Amino acid sequence: MISSAEATRQIYWNISHLWVMYVLLLPTAASAGYGIYRHFSRWRRGLPTARFDRPAERGKLLFKHAVAQRRTAQNFYAGLFHRLISYGFVILTIATTVVALDADLGTAIMRGKFYLYFQSFIVDIFGALVMVGVGMAAARRYLKRPQKLVYTDEATLILVVIFLLCLQGFLIEGWRIAATNDPWGAWSPFGNLCARASRALMSVEAMEWAHRGTWWFHLVVSFGFIAWLPYTKMMHIITAPLNIYTANLAPLGASLKNIDFEQTESFGVNSLKGFTWKDLLDFDACTECGRCTAVCPAHTVGKELSPRDIVLQLRDLMHEHPRDAFGLASTIGTANGNGQPASITPADHEPTTDKEARKPLPIIGAVPATSPAALWQCTTCAACMEACPVFIEQMPKIVDMRRYLVMEEAEFPDSMQSAIMSLEKRGHPYSGTQATRLDWTEGLNVKHLSETKEAEVLLWVGCGGALIERNQRVTRATAQLLEQAGVRFAIMGREEKCSGDPARRIGNEFLFETLAKENVGNLNKYQVKKVITACPHCFNTFKHEYPQYGGKFEVYHHSEYLARLVAEGKLKPLVGLDKKITFHDPCYLGRQNGVYDAPRELVQISSRQSSIEMERSRNKSFCCGGGGGMSFVDEPADQRVNQERAQEAIDTGADILAVGCPFCMTMMEDGINARKGERDVKVLDVSELLWEAAKPRPLENSTS
Amino acid sequence: MNILVCLKQILDPEIPARDFRVVAAKREAERGSASLVTNIFCENALETALQFRERAGGTKITVLSYGQPSAEDSLRKALAMKADAAALVVNDGNTNPDPLTVARVLAAANAKLGTFDLIMVGREAGDWGAGQTGGLLAEMLELPCVSFVDSIESVGGKLHLKRQTDTGWETLAAEPPVVVTVTNDEHNVPRIPKVRDVMMSYRQPLTQWTLDELGINADEARAGNTYYDVAELAIPQKETRCEFVSGDTLDEKVEAFARRIIEVTGAM
Ligand code: SF4
Ligand code: SF4
Repeated sequence: MISSAEATRQIYWNISHLWVMYVLLLPTAASAGYGIYRHFSRWRRGLPTARFDRPAERGKLLFKHAVAQRRTAQNFYAGLFHRLISYGFVILTIATTVVALDADLGTAIMRGKFYLYFQSFIVDIFGALVMVGVGMAAARRYLKRPQKLVYTDEATLILVVIFLLCLQGFLIEGWRIAATNDPWGAWSPFGNLCARASRALMSVEAMEWAHRGTWWFHLVVSFGFIAWLPYTKMMHIITAPLNIYTANLAPLGASLKNIDFEQTESFGVNSLKGFTWKDLLDFDACTECGRCTAVCPAHTVGKELSPRDIVLQLRDLMHEHPRDAFGLASTIGTANGNGQPASITPADHEPTTDKEARKPLPIIGAVPATSPAALWQCTTCAACMEACPVFIEQMPKIVDMRRYLVMEEAEFPDSMQSAIMSLEKRGHPYSGTQATRLDWTEGLNVKHLSETKEAEVLLWVGCGGALIERNQRVTRATAQLLEQAGVRFAIMGREEKCSGDPARRIGNEFLFETLAKENVGNLNKYQVKKVITACPHCFNTFKHEYPQYGGKFEVYHHSEYLARLVAEGKLKPLVGLDKKITFHDPCYLGRQNGVYDAPRELVQISSRQSSIEMERSRNKSFCCGGGGGMSFVDEPADQRVNQERAQEAIDTGADILAVGCPFCMTMMEDGINARKGERDVKVLDVSELLWEAAKPRPLENSTS
Repeated sequence: MNILVCLKQILDPEIPARDFRVVAAKREAERGSASLVTNIFCENALETALQFRERAGGTKITVLSYGQPSAEDSLRKALAMKADAAALVVNDGNTNPDPLTVARVLAAANAKLGTFDLIMVGREAGDWGAGQTGGLLAEMLELPCVSFVDSIESVGGKLHLKRQTDTGWETLAAEPPVVVTVTNDEHNVPRIPKVRDVMMSYRQPLTQWTLDELGINADEARAGNTYYDVAELAIPQKETRCEFVSGDTLDEKVEAFARRIIEVTGAM
């Protein structure tokens, strides 16, 4: 018995003319290198953005999502096969590197236990797992055929090649084990299986021939694969980790870009040149998994919008027409009088000069995915961004393009125009409303900031909370609860203006800035420090967008503040209703700002039954359809996001749908009314639920 | 073709009725938290002019306002909508001058600005709704006036003016120069300016004159009451009461209800 310390195998057994391999390596490296370089040179055409700060946090993110693949694994099946294939590939790459080190640098790593445990056993197992993973992927792609995938020949070829590479590996190994009577063969279970089968079927000479032929074929296929990688979606092996490392570390609610109106010449984006390098990297990082489009509310109800296609079609535009896309001097085609390219030129030459000969190709409407109709369907819910395994920022790009349409072209839906016009003239988006900002205070003793020096917190009512009759009841409930708890609060009344959120999401950044500056000015005039609001959109704006205008506040969603008052014993709700309640997470509170529990606590307090969760809840919550200015738009009757969500709520069997946002309130009430049928389902804000449980009751004996 | 469009800045007529108050002593509306906006019919007039320019070309549009210094905002917005030039006559007298005073001021400013082939004003303003300035202005300028126009075409040196009538519409051919008052129509909804143009509008020149610079009787203009005075200003009181009729059976209720109707209306 030979000692296991001497275990190893002969590298390049049965192979001669090795120089051919080194010769082939040259074009392989050249092709792969050029492909990667081309990507980098394209990204470098983007505008600057700082994405290399906070390396520790970025490293952690990289580990969580590139190494541990947490987001990919949110879909169990896809997460499983992706891990099998990717981890397998990492192991196989390490094994190949070990071989190269020993063969070319003369190290002697591949010996003994390492050889047996890792290089033989583990590598064999992982090789087999890769094949299982490929099988699973193929089964999904060709048997289940989910709609969200992109069906290309490239995708098929990639699966075939990976499968072949592993299979070849096992055959080569098997023939070597059999022909050399390798004493350590059993350590490679799958190779050994091939060896045993071959011994029964082939002569040693035939095995040597087959080994040699397959070895060279394997070499050509793998070199070819490497050379081809950067030109396919497999490039995500490099771009995905890079993209995750350079992801936006801020909460989703803070993902829109700022515009410096003093410095900027053109507002919004209508060419690839208007994007940052990170945006361009985003395009190349897309793995075509389709998760973003699958969760997109607009897409779900049958509208054109598809965040995946925006990414992929802009990527194709960038790859296929780089000169036109970036407006570079071209040897082919000339610009016509408008500065538009006369023809789209093929991408045969990569841009090498920064000299600009013409206006870059407009991207809005250049591909179906960026049609204005699609861009105006986005509710800015950020479900796409939350779902994307590689942290692509789809929604900010949509808003970038909207900005162009609004600020440069003034081309946007009429109903949004009237909201914008009303915001400009009256500081609220509800054109024609007869409500005033103080209607809800009738009969309550609510103080204005100018009347009291005592106030410790500002109740920011918001346009929805003040001017929409249904929401006035929510605002009353909140104010009454605060009063009951002895909170010294005040309001800004008529001095309040829209926070600017709808203007910003519709794309009128200029109007947003005007409103923001005015509000911050007023808030600072009264030295406001703490703010409570029942509107998640105002909440988000105060939290992430006002600081840059000098407004630094401690902001609470009313659910957070009320839940705290209950916890501190300042509010003492009685045993709640005997109703089943389900809670609808507002996108701008939950997914975009991570507040999930406070509203649920209030729901729990308010009912004796345990609350029910909808299938799409918390960070996967499905938009009510009202964000991004969409609450001002009349959706086609058969494509209403609110009804899709209302149906989900109704299907839980809940008696009450709890909400925490004035937009959700109106969208959900409309949706429920359209879908509920005979059964009574009510829509109530969490503060209304709490007030129901906490409001003073008439004494038993005072009623007859 | 030279077009002059006159614009009036008014208190936002869309404020909720409950927020609307008047200062009885000063006989004017209270500003309160309401914004100042351009009168909608004046914007319709500007939009009609802009569309005319788009079709006919070779046209210069000047906007003119007589009002408080804040009326500059209305003129800037008009520039953002792509008017070519703007002029403001600052009113430092009666904040609610009568239409004849306004017409005199506009006529004088018109003469200072040059000669115009087409002078456009809104059919009336959303604050006082007098609807007389256009006609009086035409009188001052000794020009014909066509009212309630909603679109204008240039046909062989003449202007075809489509105007709304009680029963439909009619088109008049007019030889410029002419004064028209413009009403609204689905085609002349004022456009939303591009943000870029809004920003640019603040860098454009804007002519400003005081009443004394116009060569008119400035004191009379300041008084602003050439042919009428507002004697009293009040919001009409609307009283609503709700009453429930009672009765044990439906028949009784119906009878009681009918009786009340007769009592209240004095019918039968
Ligand atoms: S933000 Fe929401 S609506 Fe917009 S593309 Fe993404 S998922 Fe769709
Ligand atoms: S953008 Fe992200 S979620 Fe959408 S298809 Fe590409 S990788 Fe998947």
